[in-house]
Formats: sequence, structure tokens, C-alpha cells
Amino acid sequence: MTSLDASPMTLDDDPLEESAPNGRPRNRHQRGQRAVTVSPSVIVPVASLVCALLVGAIVIVVDGANPFEVYRSVAAGVFIDNRGLSDTATAATPLILIALGYALAYRARVFTIGAEGQYLLGAIVSVGVVTADGVRDLPGPVLIALGVMAGALAGAAWGGITGVLWTRFGASIVISSLMLVYVAQALLQWSIRVPIRDPESFVPASRQLGNAQLGELPFLGTHLGFVVAVACGPVLAWLFARHRVGYRISVLGHNPSALDANEVASRRVVMMVVLAAGGLAGLAGFFEMSGVNGRLGSSASLGLGFTGIIVALLGRLHPIGVVAAGLAIAGLDIGFEVSARSHDLPSSLVGVIQALVVVFVVAGDALAARFIGEGE
Amino acid sequence: MSTIFTLATIAAALRLSIPVALAAMGAVVSERSGVLNLGVEGMMLSGAFAAYSAAEATGSPWIGLLAGTGVGALTGALLVLFVVVGRSNQIVTGIAFTLLASYLTTYLFQRNYSIGQVPPRLNRIGLVGLVVMTVVLVVVVYYLLQRTTFGLALGAVGESPEAADALGYDVVRIRSIATVIGGSFAGLGGAALVCGPLGLFIENVTGGRGWVALALVVFSGWKTFPVVAGAFLFGLSDAVQLRLQGTQSALPYEFFLALPYLLTLLALVLRARASRTPAALGVAFVRGAH
Repeated sequence: MTSLDASPMTLDDDPLEESAPNGRPRNRHQRGQRAVTVSPSVIVPVASLVCALLVGAIVIVVDGANPFEVYRSVAAGVFIDNRGLSDTATAATPLILIALGYALAYRARVFTIGAEGQYLLGAIVSVGVVTADGVRDLPGPVLIALGVMAGALAGAAWGGITGVLWTRFGASIVISSLMLVYVAQALLQWSIRVPIRDPESFVPASRQLGNAQLGELPFLGTHLGFVVAVACGPVLAWLFARHRVGYRISVLGHNPSALDANEVASRRVVMMVVLAAGGLAGLAGFFEMSGVNGRLGSSASLGLGFTGIIVALLGRLHPIGVVAAGLAIAGLDIGFEVSARSHDLPSSLVGVIQALVVVFVVAGDALAARFIGEGE
Repeated sequence: MSTIFTLATIAAALRLSIPVALAAMGAVVSERSGVLNLGVEGMMLSGAFAAYSAAEATGSPWIGLLAGTGVGALTGALLVLFVVVGRSNQIVTGIAFTLLASYLTTYLFQRNYSIGQVPPRLNRIGLVGLVVMTVVLVVVVYYLLQRTTFGLALGAVGESPEAADALGYDVVRIRSIATVIGGSFAGLGGAALVCGPLGLFIENVTGGRGWVALALVVFSGWKTFPVVAGAFLFGLSDAVQLRLQGTQSALPYEFFLALPYLLTLLALVLRARASRTPAALGVAFVRGAH
């Protein structure tokens, strides 16, 4: 299991970057400590969830509600309510796709935070393609295939910009990816006002997706995107564990000069990583439009790209962990949606708890690296 | 175009550049000591919310500025606990801080001003007051970094903590102080936005200005006066953007919405390679690790 804190390194010697945080992994050996056999890789996220819910309980008490009641109705909203589980699956879909991209990137120590922009580009371009004149009357499966490709390509291109700015100019990916979120939000407003606007619509919005809309799958009660997102988990896990591409990514995360010494350009691996992460986010954008929203409107930017960071870190950058974390974070969203309303709590409370989770994960990682010695 | 660059635009540019300039100066201080603070956006937001609450309760925007600075210092101290003492990953920790601040301020704001109720506007601080305060602080920071023993030690700690340690400087202490100063400035920056040009708080009111500040630090080459100049350019594009939104123009108004961020990207691209990064930026110090 890769710990975020377990490698000293620099990428092209620029420490602002996608590179060199922290940590001296040999340290614990120097202090004569031995790694403990129980890996904290599952303990830290579970303990973080518990801690975040405990702090959340205090906040709920301060707000004048009964935390047991609130949490009971959150759980009931997910597990007892008829649609609870399938709604959770639907809500988890974009989070899992986006977080898998982050996991891929963070493993390579490419710190991007701009999936929101790549998600939006995926949504804009795919909706533009499948609602275009002459295209929108094509049969559903063709349109969906087109939308998937357009969304993934657009997201990859938007992510690719940050890769080029980094590899050619040394511009920090953390910052450039975020700047591009704001540019993407402006692009969204323009696109639904001018080029892909539904002429019938009073407010700026795209046409309905029509044949490109994804129906509910039997038994699952959610759309195709969920199946794709969950399937991506094992595929990426295999890639990391068995394939040379996954190996190069982890080498880039640990010692990029070793890559260059073996004639694999670290820049090329960085590009590959940002393209793949952007593609996954763009795919999430198309699936969200065709599976949930049904059209592109001005409120398409809901911050899923940022919640995805929480999911990736809670899932410990492990693809299977990310799928589990995506379901957990989406479950909180779905459960709190009803619970917060019925207990008269602000809807943003769930966001506070989710963000607390990631803060506890970060703290737990640092503690684990220091006192237990995380496996490398 | 001649009507754009009027005195009013310049004044608006100054108003909008001061929050970014303050946050960026703080980031220069903490980054020079080797602590990369990606929580600046979150610290600005925390300061902005604290300032709004305090100014609204007391009626004095100056008390708002104080509250924002205080909360900023607290968030800086919290960051110290994580990255300097706990040696957590500086990039991930900063991002986590910003996420938490974004949700927490949204929550507190929703809780205190339930939806539908219009949050009251503040008495705003005039431009002159803000400018005087900023100029004084710029000079103080410049003097601190360039002309004091502490400033030199701070730079040494950011370049080569091992050497500074061998010379007897307390690396952890210096970095902690620098990070708290950085947090205070970020909080003050957020406060100056709310108590200055805006006079109100809305969800995620800082709108990425903390990230812009971080980009400007790179643009400036980690120097005090250039970072303030960069902030003015950002403020100018922000002011022009606001002015052009209401007018007829060949370009769609959304382009002007994106303009400040595009210019920030451009600044980053132009200067990223040329700037001298502090050598130990983002690297935790562990005594005896080498």
C-alpha cells in the first residue's frame, strides 16, 4: 500500500510541485522501530470516518438536535428506504470515476485538484455532440458511445493542458488545474447560452439528451455509469499490481530519476497520468448528464470534483478502496439529504463531516508513518 | 476601451487587489521558510467569515479585520501542528484544510443566516484605510525578511534546514512562526475582501483568490514587492472584468469572468521556470535524517 508520506523525492527538482512533500521513510529504521504487522491501511480510513461522525455528533448537539436520531435516520435513508441503495449507487458513480483519476495521479505524486473542470468539459462537449443537429436522432446506443468518447476525450484534453503547462513550463499542476476549473465554469455558462443552447428554453440550458439518456438498469435501479465506474476499480487495481504502466506510475511516485535512467521519460508518464485522470473525470461528466440530469444547465458545477479528493484519500489511493469510499461518501450524501431536512439542520452539514473525514485521514497517515511505520 | 481605465476602475482594482496582495505576502513568508501552505484559500475563507461575523456583531469593520487576522493565525497554528510538528504531506494537508474551511464556513453561514433571509451588509472600510494598512504591512514584511536576523534565519531554514540547524537555529520554531504569520495574512486578506470591497459574505466568497495568491508567489520569485505588483495586475483584471460585464462587447462576457484566472495562468507559465524556488520548500525537517 502506498502511503502518501512514504517517499522522499523531487520531480525535476522543483519542490513546489507534484513532488516533494515530505517524510524520511528510513527514519523509523534509524530509530530502531520495526513495522507492526497490522497494516493501518484500513484502520486509518475507518477510524477517520468514526472520528468525523463523532465530531459531527457534537456539531449536531450544538445545533439542538439529537445525534442518535439524526444518524439513525441517515442509516435508514440509505438501508431501509426503498430507493436508498440505488440512489447511493447513482450518487457514487461520478465520485468513484473522479476519485479513481485522483488515485492514479496522486500515486504518481502528480497533485491535481482540478477534476471539477475536467468533469465540466466532459459534460459540455459530450452534451454538445449528442444534441447536435443530425446527431441527436441517431439510435441510443450509438449516441451513448459517442457521448462516452466525447466526454472522456474532452476531460482528458482539459487535464492534458495542465500536463503540458507543467512539463513544458514548470507551472504547478495544483494551481493550474484549479485555475482551469474557473475557466471551465465560465465556458459552461457561455456554452449553454450560445452554442449548445436549446432554442426553446427560456433559461440558458442545453437540449434534453433524448435518445442519449441512460435508463435505469434492472435489479440495480441505477444507470450504466455505475457499472462502468465499479468495473474500473478492479481494472485499475490490476494495472497497478501487474502491468508495467502501473509500475511506472509508482516509480514516478517514488523515484522519478530511476524512470529517466531507464529511458522512460518521467514527463511522458506525467502526461499519461493527467490525461487518464482527466478522461475519467470527463466520463463522469457525460454519465452524470445522461444518467441523472438529462440536460446541461447552469448549475452543473456542484463540486463533485472536490468531493472526489476526499474519496480518493479515504480510499487510500487504492482502486478497490476508492470504490468503497465512493459508496460510503455517497451514502452520507443520500442519508443526510432526508435526515437534515427532517431535523431542520443545514444541508451543508454533510459536507463538513465529509471534509472532517479527509482531515482525519491526513492526520492519521502522519501519525501512522511516525509511530507505527506504514508498509511501503 | 478608453472608458474602461478610468479612475473608478483603478480604485476598484486597488480594492480587489489588496486581499490577494495580503494573502500572497503571507504565503511568501511561510514559503520562504520552507512551508508550502496550500490552505491559503481556506484560511482566507475562514478569515472572511470570522470578519463578517465580528463586523456584523460589533458594527465595526476594523474589528472584523482583527477577528479575521486572529482566526487566520489560529488556522496557521493548526497547519503547524499538521505539517511542521506532525510532518504530514504538505500538499494533501493544505488541500484538506481548504476543503474543510469551504464546507465549514458554508455550514456556519447557512446556520446563522438561514436561506431566504438577506444577510446584512457591513459598514465598509474606505479605500484609503485599506491602502495605508497594506502599504505599512508591505514595508514591515519587506523589512522583516530582508533586514532582520530573523528574516535571514527564516530564509536559511527554507534553503537548507540542516545547515541552519547546525548553526543553532531552531528550524521547527522558525517555520512555526512563519506559518502563523502566513495564516494571519491570509485571514486578514479574506477579512479585507469582506470588510473592504464587498461588504458582505457569501458561500466561497474568496472565489479562488487564495490559489491566485499562491500562483503570484511563484510569479514574483518569492519577493515582497513583485508579489504586490502581481496582485495589482490581478485586481486590475478583476475590476475590468466587473466593468465589462455590463457593457456591449465583441467578446462574450463569460470570457471576462475567466480573464483573471487566465492571466494568473499566464503569469505562472511565464515565470515558473525562471523563479528561484526555496530549496527546501515542501520538505519536512527531521533532525539527523541525513
